[in-house]
Amino acid sequence: MIDALLAPFAPLVEFGFMRRALVASLALSIAAPPLGVFLMMRGMSLIGDAMSHAILPGIALGFLFAGFSLPMMSLGGILSGLVVAGLAGSVSQMTGHREDAAMASFFLISLAAGVLIVSLGGNSVDLTHVLFGSILAVDTTALLLIASISSLTLLGLALMFRALVVECLDPLFLRGQGVRGGLVHGLFLALVVLNLTAGFQTLGTLMAVGLMMLPATAARFWSSRLEGLILIAILVAACSSVAGLLLSYHLDLPSGPCIILVSGGIYLLSALFGRRHSLWRRLRRRASPLAARYGEATLSRRTKDPGP
Amino acid sequence: MVLEGVSGEFPVGSVTALVGANGAGKSTLLAGIMGVLAPIAGRVHCAVPKERRAWLPQQLALDLSFPMSVEELVMTGCWPSHGALRGYSRAHYRRGREIMERLGISELAHRPLGELSGGQRQRALIGRTLMQQAELLVLDEPFANVDSASVEVLTEVFREMAAQGATLVVVLHDMQQLAQLADRVLVLAEGRGEWFAPEEIVPAHDIHQRCLQTAQRLLSGARP
Repeated sequence: MIDALLAPFAPLVEFGFMRRALVASLALSIAAPPLGVFLMMRGMSLIGDAMSHAILPGIALGFLFAGFSLPMMSLGGILSGLVVAGLAGSVSQMTGHREDAAMASFFLISLAAGVLIVSLGGNSVDLTHVLFGSILAVDTTALLLIASISSLTLLGLALMFRALVVECLDPLFLRGQGVRGGLVHGLFLALVVLNLTAGFQTLGTLMAVGLMMLPATAARFWSSRLEGLILIAILVAACSSVAGLLLSYHLDLPSGPCIILVSGGIYLLSALFGRRHSLWRRLRRRASPLAARYGEATLSRRTKDPGP
Repeated sequence: MVLEGVSGEFPVGSVTALVGANGAGKSTLLAGIMGVLAPIAGRVHCAVPKERRAWLPQQLALDLSFPMSVEELVMTGCWPSHGALRGYSRAHYRRGREIMERLGISELAHRPLGELSGGQRQRALIGRTLMQQAELLVLDEPFANVDSASVEVLTEVFREMAAQGATLVVVLHDMQQLAQLADRVLVLAEGRGEWFAPEEIVPAHDIHQRCLQTAQRLLSGARP
């Protein structure tokens, strides 16, 4: 009985490539979602998307000069991500335009540059690999890289947590205390870039952001507390990783899209049935607005006993 | 907004009301006092160290959908002594609770800011500045969207802070609130500032009318 229940999970243990894929995606699931929660809470949900394009030219350059070498491609990705984030930040600061406009412009430039560079040195298979990743090809080097980036992210987040929270709520307060808000913001964006680079090997540059944002947006329907949001987001990401990998194994589908689609499914379910602000909640409130406010028990007592 | 010809000082322990029409440069002056905007000519000297200055912008400037509870917000006032890393001790939490008690928001301690009314939020934000032991408190329309009960509590707290040696600069529109709170009034109009005693200002019912008159007087060079 138990064997039969566990049987679908067997491939995760049985095969080396599945074990490595599992560890890699779980490591990503711990580090990326907290960043996603902060991005979402600061109204920067699409910045992650923009940054994921920004790392592409660097990865492509690494690929052009060193071939299919993960450390070189990752280094290139991190560098170009940081450069684009810095450029977008300084352009918006100099011109006074909103940062997202500068970001949008730069990510389009990077996307075009990246695709051009990849096509200079490779073929469409290489391009597909860079854009969409292949988690089943994760080797020990990649695993080490992902694990160290995840650890670094957790450490970095722990160190800057309070500053980040204060900055999200009231940047002026932090500035008044002599902390440069730009510094906190920049460090945070650097962590985002690091994580997207870690995710590119497994999920590809375009989908790496999925494991960051989807768990965070799904968590929004379950908790109103920061700690709750972060924990739920990590949980959602981990579950989607395991489920996505198994789905891809049993149904013979590409693993990256499977993982992201599972977390996408969890997001949709949360939007429909979540505890907070979900469609179901809203319908129920509309059906009996007083019950939602006073609690069902009070209301039924009131209707039964209209009082003197 | 260009301000020229504003001079004077905000004495320790005083409450100064900053009054003027929209666009008269009130927020610009506040930014200058806080050292965010450097003056093009002249000098702004502030005797209070940076970490003891508190600047409360208009509420709209804050992202209050961020998931943070009232107590957490009040505790962030510990930043000057604790920075980004040091943990809050039990004594600090006790002080936080005393402050929330004083402001009448104890029962809201664990509620997220997004669920509060304007008055409750304002009390929580003032709680943070109390935690910070602010010696200079710069408030931009602290009573906008705030219910009268909260206005009463906050006015009392502000007066207490001033009595304990804090300096307050408050942007105000309501004359009644001004009469209850302020020691002195700085009227900004046409890029210039004039000091008044509250009694001189309060009888005028329409403050914008009053600003206009002041501006005209200033332009004609006559001292009221």
